[in-house]
Amino acid sequence: MTWHRRSALDRDRDEEFAAHLGEAIDYYKARGLSADEAARLARLRFGNPRAYREQLDELQRLPVLDVLARDVRYALRRIRQAPGFHAVIIVTLALAIGATSAVFSLADAILLRPLPLPDPDRLAVVGYQRVSASGAYTGPAVDGAMWAAVRHHARSVDAAVFIYGAPDVNFVANGTASIVRSQLVGEGYFRVLGIPPAIGREFTRAEAQPGGPAVAILSHDFWQRALQGRPDAMDQTIRLRGEPYTVVGVLPAEVPDFVDADVFTPLRAVGQGLNYRVVARLRADATRTQANAELAALGDEPFAMQRPNASVTRRLVLVDLQETLVAAAREPIVLLGWAVGAVLVIACVNIAVLLLARSATRAREIGTRMALGGSRMAVVRQLMVEAGLVAALGGAAGVFVAYAGLEGLKAIGGTTFSEWERVTLDARTVVVSFGLSVLTSLLFGLLPAWQTSRVDVQAAIAGSGSRSIAGGSRHLLRRGLVVAEVALSVVLLVGGGLLLRQLLFLQALDSGFSPANLYTTSVSLQDARYRDPAAIVRVFDASLERLDRTPGIEAAAVSQGVPYQRLLNMPFWFERQADDEPKIANIAYVTPGFFRTLGIDIVRGRGIADRDRSGTPAVVVVNEMFERMHLDGGSALGRRLRIGNSEGAGIEVVGVSRDVQQSAAGFLLTGMRRGPLLTSPTVYLPAAQGGDLLRAFAPVWTVRARSARDAAEAMSGAIAAADPLLPTGPVRSMAETASRVLAQPRLIAQLVGTLAAAALLLAAIGIYGLLAHVVSERTREFGIRLALGATTGGIVRAVALSGAALAGAGALLGIGLSFPASALIASFLPDLGTRDVPTYAGVSLTLVVIALVSSVLPALRAGRLEPVRVLREG
Amino acid sequence: MRRRPKTTDGDLLGGTLDMLILRTLQSGSKHGFAIARSIAERSDEVLLVEEGSLYPALHRVERRGWIRAAWGVSENNRRAKFYTLTAKGRARLAEESSRWRELAAAVARVMEPAS
Repeated sequence: MTWHRRSALDRDRDEEFAAHLGEAIDYYKARGLSADEAARLARLRFGNPRAYREQLDELQRLPVLDVLARDVRYALRRIRQAPGFHAVIIVTLALAIGATSAVFSLADAILLRPLPLPDPDRLAVVGYQRVSASGAYTGPAVDGAMWAAVRHHARSVDAAVFIYGAPDVNFVANGTASIVRSQLVGEGYFRVLGIPPAIGREFTRAEAQPGGPAVAILSHDFWQRALQGRPDAMDQTIRLRGEPYTVVGVLPAEVPDFVDADVFTPLRAVGQGLNYRVVARLRADATRTQANAELAALGDEPFAMQRPNASVTRRLVLVDLQETLVAAAREPIVLLGWAVGAVLVIACVNIAVLLLARSATRAREIGTRMALGGSRMAVVRQLMVEAGLVAALGGAAGVFVAYAGLEGLKAIGGTTFSEWERVTLDARTVVVSFGLSVLTSLLFGLLPAWQTSRVDVQAAIAGSGSRSIAGGSRHLLRRGLVVAEVALSVVLLVGGGLLLRQLLFLQALDSGFSPANLYTTSVSLQDARYRDPAAIVRVFDASLERLDRTPGIEAAAVSQGVPYQRLLNMPFWFERQADDEPKIANIAYVTPGFFRTLGIDIVRGRGIADRDRSGTPAVVVVNEMFERMHLDGGSALGRRLRIGNSEGAGIEVVGVSRDVQQSAAGFLLTGMRRGPLLTSPTVYLPAAQGGDLLRAFAPVWTVRARSARDAAEAMSGAIAAADPLLPTGPVRSMAETASRVLAQPRLIAQLVGTLAAAALLLAAIGIYGLLAHVVSERTREFGIRLALGATTGGIVRAVALSGAALAGAGALLGIGLSFPASALIASFLPDLGTRDVPTYAGVSLTLVVIALVSSVLPALRAGRLEPVRVLREG
Repeated sequence: MRRRPKTTDGDLLGGTLDMLILRTLQSGSKHGFAIARSIAERSDEVLLVEEGSLYPALHRVERRGWIRAAWGVSENNRRAKFYTLTAKGRARLAEESSRWRELAAAVARVMEPAS
């Protein structure tokens, strides 16, 4: 009701009262009373106008809203009376709601939300399953025969073949070169996915046959960039890899994240390797079961290209498309989900503990109100309004935390997981975590009202609370809750600690070279003009010769990959080796300046020299790991190798270099570490003798320079001088490359570590809240004890010890739970494992300190009690 | 000096004041003081409600839709609010009256067991 309306009603009523008195006075005067007497009598018979005015006010109000407003005012007053207590609850709620919503928004968007394609649940990938005595393995990669069998015989699915990934290729337009991502897809790929081209058409069957025409489909973005979005893009010619391609189609602007290439060219899938993938859409009348049965009935035909092996059963099966797409993103998000779930549980437990602790005080207050005639309904309503208000404040703060948290996650995780960048806060997850927290606070906020039903009102008012309430079971519940929350936070701490220790371990690894002032760039040679390896060597020589003369460049080299990247691997044999089982090693070609430029020591023999060219004897340098893995630590100098199909006298090992860290090897030998950083047996051969190897993988130029700008200018200048149509990639410092390799473990350690810290803080608040309350509850008892001669120290010790006991019990339980729980993160701990003693010791120590601090503070309060005052007032 | 008015509607049986208001309005619209006078006179000055208590009751009865209020002019040429019985109020009054008669008769039988 507005103020104006209210005041109009007031005037109305005052006028009516005045009229009443006027009429009464006239009436009494007409009966012969004097004016004074008449006025007196009229007022007397009317009664107290103020009382009636108030009664009318009450009647005129909107009753429900009014009562609510009064309850809210009262609740706000209660909140202001205990600001610390309510701040803690609100912060707890905000943290819980915020963290949960942020992480579940990520999980939902990446793992759960269906792909933005028509009928995504009818899409699948055809997987190749091998079942042997050692177990079943299903992979998404198939060969040409498997694809042919699906294509010709599987009637229940509409299938298309494609190659996973989009390698960089050169694209030339208007005399400038750039690098674009090009993917090979078969006929019907976009039809099966349900992405019809926005302009033009997709590849026909004839175009996807071997020997078909050179045609291309462009992404919407690339069409805009390369052809300025020209509507007559169809039948235009673009130059890819130095060859002309005719544009036949342009994709729509909105496509799923995994359709991320710039250019698509037809895939002619007939090869023998497991290089293809097949995407399939169930036809209208078919079910997944029917399709799987049909694939199983294909018999041996799909496996004609695989080596027969009686002990392995092979079949083709449908695999969920989304699962194969998000496999890499799944682990960290699932891990985060568990960690956040634990924090949410801890937060709810914390709220419960705090509200329980307060319920005794509340019980006394409620007793008073009920003794003064408050109905139980009114009291319950009041408590609900209070709990609801606190929950609403916490929830509102939680939405902010969620928003900020998600932005934070994207800021630190977006470079590692590109899918994260587009995620927005999901309203449903906010609602769910909000609801959960509100429910907790309502449930435990109402507990005092429920307890008063078992409370003798008089005793609750008279006593200090603890004597009258069914205390035993409540204490047990509270203690149980605190132990549970400490245990959970220990589990999180152990997880965070293990991840952190693994990260520290990786960061402390000896890189094997000097990464300072090194800058790299890579160049794609996927170009028709570089089919001849000699042409590639000429580009290397010309650009390096120019770099050597550039001021500010200390040293320069070209190699196939640098430390912290992954290298090719290749089988090889030693000359005069007893059996003909091939051995395996990583392999890279390098120019003569490589070891000097990167600062990799040659420990024995010599490095690659200028004289090692085509026509001179073939030589290689191997690393120390090569000697350890393949020669039992014996010297490799003078040994001869055969690599791949090499003929003749073999290749002589002329030097041994130090090991450097790589990001992956592609194979695992006993004694090798698993990634993300490892050293592997490696063979370096002279670029000039690289042969066909020069055409695989893009070469990397490395310079040691004074500054990034010097390096960038010098490298692009030198490469452009050698061939102006070669596009150079971005220039990266070696430090950047190194930090990219560790980005994922660092991110996960940071996130889990942050959550563990939040959990620890909440657990500390829980311990503190419980003990602080125990102290206030037992004030009277402590007073008596002090009066009877107990020492202050004794009481402080008793209180602190009870807190320490809770923390200890929680820690033991938590460490017990950590063993199975850390199995969840075992794959993130390749070097440390899950039984790392320093982690457990560190966590236990941290917990002891935190538990002591949060126990001693309330205990000291107990020690400051003055017996006389306590007894008089308690 | 007259008898001091001691009763409030709390002393009347629950809802009785509402019924009395409806009854006095049966003969036509009245303002507040006229209603008070009417009750006092018809009860031979026995039922002396504190006159102010009429107004919360009037408000209650008005909100239930049994009476209607409108500003008018009294015999003494004073602006006053006049209350009029509505059709709904008339029906209510009939109901209340018969219930009241039953109740009064029953109370009378209890208090004066004649035969």
